[in-house]
Amino acid sequence: MFRWFRPGLRFKLLLISGFLFSIPWLGYEYVWEMEKYLRAGQEKTLSGTVRAVATALHERPKLFDVQASYRSLERGRDLYAYPIIDPIRLDGDLRDWRLKQHALHYGIDNILSQSAKYRPSTLSFKHMVGTYKDYLYAYFDVADDDIVYRPENSLLVDKNDHLQIAFTTPAGDFRRYLISPYSAGWLTPYEMAPTDSEENRPLRPESRIQGSMIETDTGYTIELRIPLSLLSSKLSFAITDFDTGNIEPMVTISTSNIWNEDELGTVLVPSPEIEQIIKGLGHSSSRIWVIDRYQRVLAKAGDIKNVDGAWSSTNSEDPDQSAWRRFEQKWLHPIYYQFLTRPPSDFIDTLYDAANLEGKHIDQALTGRSGSSWRLTEDSRAVILAAAYPIYIDDQVMGAVIAEETTNGIRTLRNQALEKLFTMMLAVMLASTVGIFFFASRISTRIRKLRDQAEGAIDSRGRIQAPIVASPVQDEIGDLSRSFADMLKRLGQYHNYLENMSSRLSHELRTPVAVVRSSLETLDMEDESLADSVYLQRAKDGLDRLSKILTNMSEASRLEESLLQAEKSEFDLAELLEGCIQGYRMAYPQVQFDLRATASEPFDGAPELLAQLMDKLIANAVEFSARDASIQVNLEQRPGSLQISVANLGPTLPADMQDRLFDSMVSVRTGHVQGQEPHLGLGLHIARLITEFHKGQIEIKNREDALGVVVRVKLPMNT
Amino acid sequence: MSRRVAIVEDEPAIRENYAAVMRRQGYQVSTYKNRREAMAGFAQQLPDLAIIDIGLEDEIDGGFLLCQSLRSLSTSLPIIFLTARDSDLDTVSGLRMGADDYLTKDISIPHMTARISALFRRMEALKEPAEAAQTLICGSLTMDMARMQVTWKGKTVDLTVTELWMVQALAKHAGHVKNRQQLMRDAQVFVDDSTITSHIKRIRKKFQQCDPEFNSIDTVYGMGYRWTQDKA
Repeated sequence: MFRWFRPGLRFKLLLISGFLFSIPWLGYEYVWEMEKYLRAGQEKTLSGTVRAVATALHERPKLFDVQASYRSLERGRDLYAYPIIDPIRLDGDLRDWRLKQHALHYGIDNILSQSAKYRPSTLSFKHMVGTYKDYLYAYFDVADDDIVYRPENSLLVDKNDHLQIAFTTPAGDFRRYLISPYSAGWLTPYEMAPTDSEENRPLRPESRIQGSMIETDTGYTIELRIPLSLLSSKLSFAITDFDTGNIEPMVTISTSNIWNEDELGTVLVPSPEIEQIIKGLGHSSSRIWVIDRYQRVLAKAGDIKNVDGAWSSTNSEDPDQSAWRRFEQKWLHPIYYQFLTRPPSDFIDTLYDAANLEGKHIDQALTGRSGSSWRLTEDSRAVILAAAYPIYIDDQVMGAVIAEETTNGIRTLRNQALEKLFTMMLAVMLASTVGIFFFASRISTRIRKLRDQAEGAIDSRGRIQAPIVASPVQDEIGDLSRSFADMLKRLGQYHNYLENMSSRLSHELRTPVAVVRSSLETLDMEDESLADSVYLQRAKDGLDRLSKILTNMSEASRLEESLLQAEKSEFDLAELLEGCIQGYRMAYPQVQFDLRATASEPFDGAPELLAQLMDKLIANAVEFSARDASIQVNLEQRPGSLQISVANLGPTLPADMQDRLFDSMVSVRTGHVQGQEPHLGLGLHIARLITEFHKGQIEIKNREDALGVVVRVKLPMNT
Repeated sequence: MSRRVAIVEDEPAIRENYAAVMRRQGYQVSTYKNRREAMAGFAQQLPDLAIIDIGLEDEIDGGFLLCQSLRSLSTSLPIIFLTARDSDLDTVSGLRMGADDYLTKDISIPHMTARISALFRRMEALKEPAEAAQTLICGSLTMDMARMQVTWKGKTVDLTVTELWMVQALAKHAGHVKNRQQLMRDAQVFVDDSTITSHIKRIRKKFQQCDPEFNSIDTVYGMGYRWTQDKA
C-alpha cells in the first residue's frame, strides 16, 4: 500500500498504546458523572436548607400580614426599599447612591393631574427608595425646565413646584406632607391637614422628615429621609410642577394617588425580623432570600460570591509548596486548564432585581411546591443553584424561602479530582508508553537479530556459514530462534551428508573395487594365457579409471582434513609460481605458459596447499584451453592483498554457473572435452577450500574480451 | 620351511583372493575374518607377517587393536595395514601403532607382493652381515637396501618400505627433481598427489627426529622433490 513507509513493530505498538489516551477521557467522563451526582446532592442539601429555613418562618403572620392584603403589585406604584449599605449624606448630591440602577422613571404614564399645557419635557423624574438603619431614604432626580420656588412672602404652599408625601402610620393614620422650598438647600416638610377635598392646609412643620435639594442642569434633585417608625406599608410621593406665570399647576406626577388612603401605593421595607431569624439560623454556606408572595425580597443573607455550597469547607487544602506541587502548578495546570475551567472567584450576578425575584423555582414555591433550578450567571462564568420552599401561614402560601449556592465548591472538587486523575494518568501513560516502547524495541531488536543471524547463516551460494545461536528465552521469538537453529542444524547435517557423499561413496566403493582388482590380478597370474587377453586388459583399464575416480572423490575430504593440520610459513609466492609453471611446462608440453609476477613481498601461507591450488587451476585452464593456446598466469601486488589470476582462451562459462562452479561436484564439462581423466567437478571446489583457508576470495569469470575464462584468487596479506 | 602369512580381513572375496596369491607365492597362509579369531590363531602360533584390515566386522578400529596386541607379542613381526581408509589420520595412527606399512586396498597385487617380499628380505638380511654392494651412500645418508635399513649420520631412521623406496628414489639421483609420478612408480604405490605430499612430510619428520638439522629433501613447487646431498 505505502511502499515508502513500512511501519515497524515499535511504531505499531506505539500506535496501539495511543489507545491508552482514552483512559483519561474515561476518567474525565467518570468525574463528570460524579459531578452530576454531587450536583444532585447539592440540590437536595439546598432543598433541605430552604425547607429548614421555611420551617422557622411558618405561621408567623406578624412578618407577613402587613403586606398580605394587597391584591396585586404594580411597578412604580408599589415601592421597594432597597437596603442601602453606605450611609447617605442628605445634601441633594446623588453620587452616594449606589443602587441608582433600580431607580424608576416617572413621566407621562404616572400623571395624577395635568393642565392642557403639559409637555413631557415639563416634568419627569427618577425616583427610588432605600433603607439605611432606621430611616427610609428617597431621592428624586427631577427634570424640570422651569423651577418655581415658593415666594418668600407666600403663605400658600401649593402654588409653586412642590413635593408631596403621603403614607399611613403604624397606628393606621393617614398622613400627608408637603415640601415647598423657598430655595435650594435644606427642606422642611409641612404636615397637611387630613381632608377629603384636594386642598392643602398646612398644620405644622414636621422635623422628623428631613430633606435637601440642589439644582442641576436639567432641573433639581431632592434627597430625603423618613424614620421607619413613622411608616407603615403605604407610601406615595407626588411632584407638582408650576411654570412661571401660571397659577395653575402644569402637571402632577405621582407614584400613586396621594389623596386617597386606599389608593396609596405600598412600600416594602425588608424585614429586619426575618433577617434576624435567617442570621440566627446560622446558615452561611448559602445565600438565602425570603420573599413575599409578590416575589419581593423581605430579607436576604449571605453573599453569593462567598457561598460555594456545602463542599466549600472541605476542599480548603493546605498550601503544599513542595517541588512537585510547584512543578504541577507551573507545567501541568496550564495544560489541564486548557480544557478545565477554574471556578471564578468573581462573577457578575445581576439577574435579580431585589424588588422582584423571578424564576421557575420561585413560581413553583409560590404555588406551594418546593422547586429548584440551575442557571448561569450573566457572564456565564458561574452556575448558580437555587432552591425555593413555600412559607405557609394558615395553609396559605405567604412567601418563600430561596437559597442559592454556586457550584464552585463542586467544580473545585471536580477540578482537583481531574488534576489528580490527569497527573496519575499522565504518569501511567508515560510509564506504560515508555515500557511498551522498550518492550517493542526489545522484541524488534531480537527479531532483527534473528533475521540477521538467519541471513548470515547461509551465504549466497546456499552454504551454511555460521550456526544460529539458539535463544534460551522461553517465548515465541525464542521458540522461533530455536527452531531456526534446529532447522539450520538439520540442514547442516544434510549439507554435510551431501558434501561427504563422495568421500563416503569412494570409501564404500573401494572394497568392491579391491575385490574386482584382486580377482582380476589373481586370474591374470593363475592363467598365463589370459595375460594377453584384450578383455582382461580392458577390464584392468576400466578398473584403473574407477580407482582414480575414487581417489579424486575422496581428495576433497582428505584436503579438508589436512587443512586442519596445515602449517603456515612465510615464503615467496612469486618463486612458488615460477616453480609451478616450470613443472606445468613439462607436464603440459603442448600448452604455452606466460607468467607475470610483480609481487615480491613474502606471503604467509601453506605453500603445498597453494601449489595444489595452482595445480587445480592450471589443470582446469589447460583442459578448457583451445589447442596450442597460451595460459597467462599473473601475480599482482595489491594494497593488503595478492591476486593470482589464471586466464585461458577457450569456451566461456554459462552465465548462471559462474558462482556454483566452486561447489562440490559441479562441472560445466560437455561431451567434446571429456578426456581421459575422469572428472567430478572437484578441482575448483578444492581450489575454493584452499583459498578460504587463506581467508581469500576466488572468482571465475569470462574474460572481458569474451575469448575465454579467467580465475582470480585474491589472498589477503597478513598484517 | 615356507613363511607363514596371516591375513585378517572381513571381506571374504578379498581375503581369499589375497590368500590365493600368497599361496601361489609359496607362502603358508592363514586367514581370519575378525579380531577374535585372529587373536586365537596368533595365540597358538605367531605368523611371520600379518596383513590386517582396520575395520573388522563390527569393530571399526579392530585392526588397530589387533596390531597393538600383535606388537606386544612380537616387536619384530612385520605388520601391514591393508585398508579402504585413506585418510592421513588413519595412516598416521596406523603407523604409530607400529605397523611396517600402510596400504590402501586399491594397491595392485604385484605392488603388495613386492612389499611383502621386501619385508621378508629385510628380516633375513638382518640376520646376515651387510653386503657393500647393496649399500647406497649419499652424504650423511646410508641406505642398506638388502636389510631395508636407513641410517642418517650413523643413526637408524625407521622408515616403512614405501618410505624407504621413496628415499631411495630421491637419493639415487641426488640433485635431480623427482616428480610425484616418478616417486609413485619407484615406491610401487599408486596414490594421489596429496598422499605423496604427506609421505614426504612424514619422511622429513622421521629424519628430523634423529637430526633436527635435516634439510635434504627440497620441495620444488609444481614439479616434485629433490634430494640435496649434504656435506658429510
